[in-house]
Amino acid sequence: MNGSKPDGQYAVLSPWADVDPVPLKGISAPRLDDLSGKKIGLLCNFKPAARPILKAVEDKLKARYPTCELIWYSPTVNIAEIIGTEKAKFEEWINAVHAVVLAVGD
Amino acid sequence: MYYAIAFEERNKPTATLCNQGFINDARSAASSKGVPGIRVVSETVPPGCTVVEDVEAGVAAAMDNIVATLTRPLTAEERSPRPRDSEKFTRIIFKGNLQEVNRFFYRRGWTDGLPVIPPTEEAVAEMLTGTDLPPDYLIGKMLPRLGKATVEKVAINAVMAGALPTYMPLLIAGVQALLDPITDAHGWAVSVGSWAPFWIINGPIRHDLHVNSGVGALSPGDIANAAIGRAMGLITKNMRGTRKGIEDMGTLGNPMKYAMVAAENEEESPWEPLHVEQGFNKADSTVSLFFPNSFIHGGRFPNVIYHIPPVPGVTCLMVTPQHAKDLARDGWTKKDIKSYIYEYARIPFYQHSSYPDGSPVIESMEKKSLPANPQDYVRLIPNPEALWLFIAGGPGGGLGVMKGSPRMKAGEKRVNLVTKKITLPANWDKLVAKYSDIVPKYGMY
Repeated sequence: MNGSKPDGQYAVLSPWADVDPVPLKGISAPRLDDLSGKKIGLLCNFKPAARPILKAVEDKLKARYPTCELIWYSPTVNIAEIIGTEKAKFEEWINAVHAVVLAVGD
Repeated sequence: MYYAIAFEERNKPTATLCNQGFINDARSAASSKGVPGIRVVSETVPPGCTVVEDVEAGVAAAMDNIVATLTRPLTAEERSPRPRDSEKFTRIIFKGNLQEVNRFFYRRGWTDGLPVIPPTEEAVAEMLTGTDLPPDYLIGKMLPRLGKATVEKVAINAVMAGALPTYMPLLIAGVQALLDPITDAHGWAVSVGSWAPFWIINGPIRHDLHVNSGVGALSPGDIANAAIGRAMGLITKNMRGTRKGIEDMGTLGNPMKYAMVAAENEEESPWEPLHVEQGFNKADSTVSLFFPNSFIHGGRFPNVIYHIPPVPGVTCLMVTPQHAKDLARDGWTKKDIKSYIYEYARIPFYQHSSYPDGSPVIESMEKKSLPANPQDYVRLIPNPEALWLFIAGGPGGGLGVMKGSPRMKAGEKRVNLVTKKITLPANWDKLVAKYSDIVPKYGMY
């Protein structure tokens, strides 16, 4: 069944699936020259550590950049369902901020 | 990472914070989406940690990097990533003896750690006699790597797992189940929760393949149960590209990922079988899939309500034929059992795994609000339809409990297990006859 040659040699095929080349995309969003006076969005994943992490980020950014405004987005659903279930709220938030800090929580 | 990509595409510089142990996972996710330049900030907050001092320390150490991620100008490579040299494989990937082949495959990360059967041209050709589909037939592209699930690649992994050609129709249906978005197989396979695929087989194919539904159905010793589960595990690794410690970040791991397969003992069941509940005909052969991360053996109805894990997802009960008959004799239907468990399986909120933030609890509550007090009771079953029973196991009473995907969404009334019909080749009877005597025959001592 296994195509073994008399000398016990096996010529084997690869189990690793082929993939179509993924078109590569660069990132182009201009970085901010300074965080002072900017609105930074804080997007919280559902995992327990995400919120305290972002709270600490908020406190430390405020300490460094007193004129920086932090705008939380606290989804009522899993992050994967945001766009499908609360699109308007999400759009309002993303359009209002200059940059985003996202905490996964693990 | 997918949201960081979406934000960057909307011209919002984004810093994604993740624990240092998950950096490879994050990089792999970004690359699989074709955006390897996404900036990830490695932090040292222990995953899941809510201890203020530890969080503070981890974030403080990452602050300079967070600021730099949002302000440091993009590099040329980030703006225009160069394609990586993709590996070019010849059709014959390696030649060697049994040990050499196994070490080659193991070093490439293509096995589950146990020895594999060498997938030679001849062995794969024999495996392909189990389907009428051509070898290059594309079943789909599997997340996260978008690996092409061709029939031939299924056959190669099936050979490695020790499967028989008669398992091919079931394995193809299994791949279709993994591809079904309802399963969210990608999410569960990589989760820190170490969720493992559980495959339940219904219909006539159970007998054709000798899938165990009796004594020790979940224990080693039956080639069908073992090799079907193992083949699907190798497919997950080699076709989906879900590798332990890179994409699969299951924290504790799970021995159920080797193989967790059982058939339903439909003949001994007093109730309609699982696949008929799912809308299929009794004469159909099907495979059902969900992703539990625990298996609790023991208990009987109704005290099973104390054994249901407080984790998200649907609940599945594996009920022994004797216990099912006892219950049916006393007038219990499947619907009655589901309703009872739905009503009485509750625990105080503070005992739930999601306390105190409550994310998974929300999906199991009628109202999308957290309990006012930690002592308030929350349901373990979102609704009666999120509980499934199937009949398997040997002589003896009792049952087993599993809980896992698919996740219930808020307000959802019913969640189906993902069940796929198995399509048999034209020469099925002849094929079954060819392999029908491959069963263990134990001598008595």
